[in-house]
Amino acid sequence: MEQSSSLLNPNAYTMDSPHPVYAMAFSPSVSSPLRLALGSFLEEYNNRVDFVTFDEESTVFRPEPALSFDHPYPATKLMFHPRPIPSSTSSLIASSGDFLRLWQVNHDGDGAGKSELRSVLNNSKSSDFCAPLTSFDWNEAEPRRIGTSSIDTTCTVWDIERGAVETQLIAHDKEVYDIAWGEAGVFASVSADGSVRIFDLRDKEHSTIVYESPRPDTPLLRLAWNKSDLRYMAAILMDSNRIIILDIRSPAIPVAELQRHRACVNTLAWAPQAPRHLCSAGDDGQALIWEVPAAAAPGTTLPPEGVDPMLSYSAGAEINQLQWSAAHPDWIGIAFESKVQLLRV
Amino acid sequence: MAAPIKLQQALQSVVQSVQWTYSLFWQLCPQQGILVWRDGYYNGAIKTRKTVQPTEVSTEEAALHRSKQLRELYDSLSTGETGGQPVQRRPCASLSPEDLTESEWFYLMCISYSFPPGVGLPGKAYARRRHVWLAGANEADSKVFSRAILAKSACIQTVVCIPVMDGVLELGTTDTVEEDIGLVQHTKSFFPEQQEMHIMPALSEQSTSNPISYTDSQPQFNPQNFPHQIKNNQENDEDEDDEEEDEEANDDSEEENVQETINQIDPASNFANAEPSELMQLEMSEGIRLGSPDDCSNNFEAELQMLGMCHDTSGQVIPRQDDAFQDWQFFNEDLSAGLPQSSAEIQDLSPENAHYSETVTIILQHNHILHSTSNLDPSFSISPNSMFSRWSSKRDILPPLIPEGNNKISQCLLKKVLIDIPNLHCNSKDENLEKGKDGEGGGGRCKKNSSVQEELSANHVLAERRRREKLNERFIILRSLVPFVTKMDKASILGDAIEYVKQLRKRIQELETRNKQLETSQRLKKLPISEKRKIRAIEGGDSNTTGKPVRGVTTDIQVSIIEQDALLELQCPYKEGLLINIMQTLHELRLEVISVNSSMEGAIFVAEFRAKVKDMNGKKASILEVKKALNRILVLR
Repeated sequence: MEQSSSLLNPNAYTMDSPHPVYAMAFSPSVSSPLRLALGSFLEEYNNRVDFVTFDEESTVFRPEPALSFDHPYPATKLMFHPRPIPSSTSSLIASSGDFLRLWQVNHDGDGAGKSELRSVLNNSKSSDFCAPLTSFDWNEAEPRRIGTSSIDTTCTVWDIERGAVETQLIAHDKEVYDIAWGEAGVFASVSADGSVRIFDLRDKEHSTIVYESPRPDTPLLRLAWNKSDLRYMAAILMDSNRIIILDIRSPAIPVAELQRHRACVNTLAWAPQAPRHLCSAGDDGQALIWEVPAAAAPGTTLPPEGVDPMLSYSAGAEINQLQWSAAHPDWIGIAFESKVQLLRV
Repeated sequence: MAAPIKLQQALQSVVQSVQWTYSLFWQLCPQQGILVWRDGYYNGAIKTRKTVQPTEVSTEEAALHRSKQLRELYDSLSTGETGGQPVQRRPCASLSPEDLTESEWFYLMCISYSFPPGVGLPGKAYARRRHVWLAGANEADSKVFSRAILAKSACIQTVVCIPVMDGVLELGTTDTVEEDIGLVQHTKSFFPEQQEMHIMPALSEQSTSNPISYTDSQPQFNPQNFPHQIKNNQENDEDEDDEEEDEEANDDSEEENVQETINQIDPASNFANAEPSELMQLEMSEGIRLGSPDDCSNNFEAELQMLGMCHDTSGQVIPRQDDAFQDWQFFNEDLSAGLPQSSAEIQDLSPENAHYSETVTIILQHNHILHSTSNLDPSFSISPNSMFSRWSSKRDILPPLIPEGNNKISQCLLKKVLIDIPNLHCNSKDENLEKGKDGEGGGGRCKKNSSVQEELSANHVLAERRRREKLNERFIILRSLVPFVTKMDKASILGDAIEYVKQLRKRIQELETRNKQLETSQRLKKLPISEKRKIRAIEGGDSNTTGKPVRGVTTDIQVSIIEQDALLELQCPYKEGLLINIMQTLHELRLEVISVNSSMEGAIFVAEFRAKVKDMNGKKASILEVKKALNRILVLR
């Protein structure tokens, strides 16, 4: 892997990868230098997950080939364990694909180390049925829980310490595309049926539809729950340039619809350090940072032209992935084509 | 319950002070357990006035009189309706229906209504012990506001129901009035009851862990002086934010200030003289307590505190944290009542939504914990050498769109990740199954959406078909190996094959034992003749066990057709041109012969045909047909 920093823009640090990148995850450990996991996107069986560190002072990317591992088909999502032990040299990373897999990454300094598969979490009783996972979320409040979403309309909650399923719910009428935890026992999911639903593990019989796409059955592709202010959630629709911001206290009515992207939105992430900011990116090659208005007071209305973003950045190609580092909130990582860029906020 | 006159007076004064159209009091009737009309005061437009005395009366008295007249009219109408009773003669100065304005009619009709607790606006207000504000009453859903149609004709636009004493006070007006908490407070003050909620000063974030306990008596703010200030509340968004930030900065000093200001203000004082900062604090406190829809993010802790401290009938402030959490539910509902949508919508919570409100409550508690433990910077700071540039809304500066090629699909990669990659997984499972076991339509669980998958599904169907054909073929082969097949269905074929294998095994065993016996007997006995005979017998026996069991020279036809594969076994005495006749017949029967195995054993013709049954115009050859046809040829001479 080559590393280069764009000379044109001194604050954009670009890394070229030999293959297109889709899944991306920042390591949440504050102590170590910025570490990124990158999942390749090749429509074939042989795919990889690579690791790269980025030094903030020298602004140099350093690939860690020793830690790379093979992955069957592209990983649809990568995520590190949300609460790592600070001084530990090994991290746990999860990947979703046909099954949920947990990998242990032992990074003894200077690029040496090894990754190994720790467990494959597979719930299908017989090998006839396969229910590939579209996404998953690691519960920060209760890190032994991982929730996965699948195209077989179910969401599964795993207890990864026991390696067993805690519960499996039929979440929607169609494929579930994304899942996000709000609190230790509450998660939300979006689906091809166009609804955002909230599930409470204490009361599995009932789920609440928090939002339904206005044109029926417009799939909702991605969901992000604001971990810094759990009242807010954001969702993306299929083939739409709008980002729907929802307030869980007032279901069905979005707080705002952010419409400044000039093409479809692909990805978004809430700011880890501020309660009401989020960053989104899409096919127009732009990464926009927005400040979400608080729920409108009675008598005041949102400006009819919609809310404007605060900041913008133009990458020059469709941005497929965006991650905001929780450990280093100054940095946002984006992936477009075969490049990965780190942007300083 | 206050004396009727007092109630009348209270209703009168309340509606006049706020200049609304009418006020009524719904009282809970103990026997029936529903809210019924107790008394009311009409303060609205009047069409005609009928008075006996020409003396001038004050407007108040006139209005009072009017209300009474309306009541009388209602009574007379209602008694008239019940029938059976003679309509009482009423004085000519009494009102008759055509004298009333629409709003008066509304007022009058209200008398006829009754609400069980929880039903309708008054019922709901009563059940929840919180006020219900309906703006746009004339447009409301009649499920929510049963008198909506009446209100529409009466142009009653705003209705408020406030639980007071042992019933519900209702106020209505033909103006559109936005929800005003101050007004609610104000009206409540007219009705003698203890103030449940004490207004607490705002508490800063850092004070959450150390609840303040007041040793002096609770100051009570007179709500009457508040309304005009409360209205400013909603405009002072930024100011509040600043105020909050200031509070966070100076917690201890702030608390002291607050304490002092409270001690200084006595209930009857005029707030106009208070310093702006104090005003702000008080305004904020109102806003916070009542769940101002403005950004409440930092106010939750304060609210928790206040709830913990309130609900104390003795007036002493005892911080009760456990109560605070219990009150979350109610508070949450209050919050939702304060949100921008018409409160009527929110209050229409069905029992299922009660689960949701619990969930939201839990999340908000967690949110509160997050806020108190983390250091969130509400003001988002950007580093000096940021990659991002400020957004400018000028159209010409907008960056150019990535030129879209004709082949480019929007959200291409995202869609692939969500749709195509899962299919790749499923198809790989399919292939594995094809190689190995007999799964049940392997990998069939994958749902298909876009056109990319239609191709894949077509492949899948073909694969299925091939598999089925393979199976059928093998069944037929098995059938041909087994001699005594009774029925032609798969299950019987398998069953017969099992039987046959068992028989064969038995036979092998028998033969082996016989062999051994023969060997031993050969050594013992030295009679060559008997040996040869036995050997011959054995040989003869052997020849019998090869292939099919020997039958007599009778014609034997066995036909088996499974779906489109046919197997025919023939045995008959030979005659000239037999094979070609059979082939022709089969052709006529629309059977396409694929393989022929025929042999002649002496005069016996034995043949085995495999064919495909063709479907011509929906007609397919049946087993019986084929058998008959073959019989005709073979038996005919």
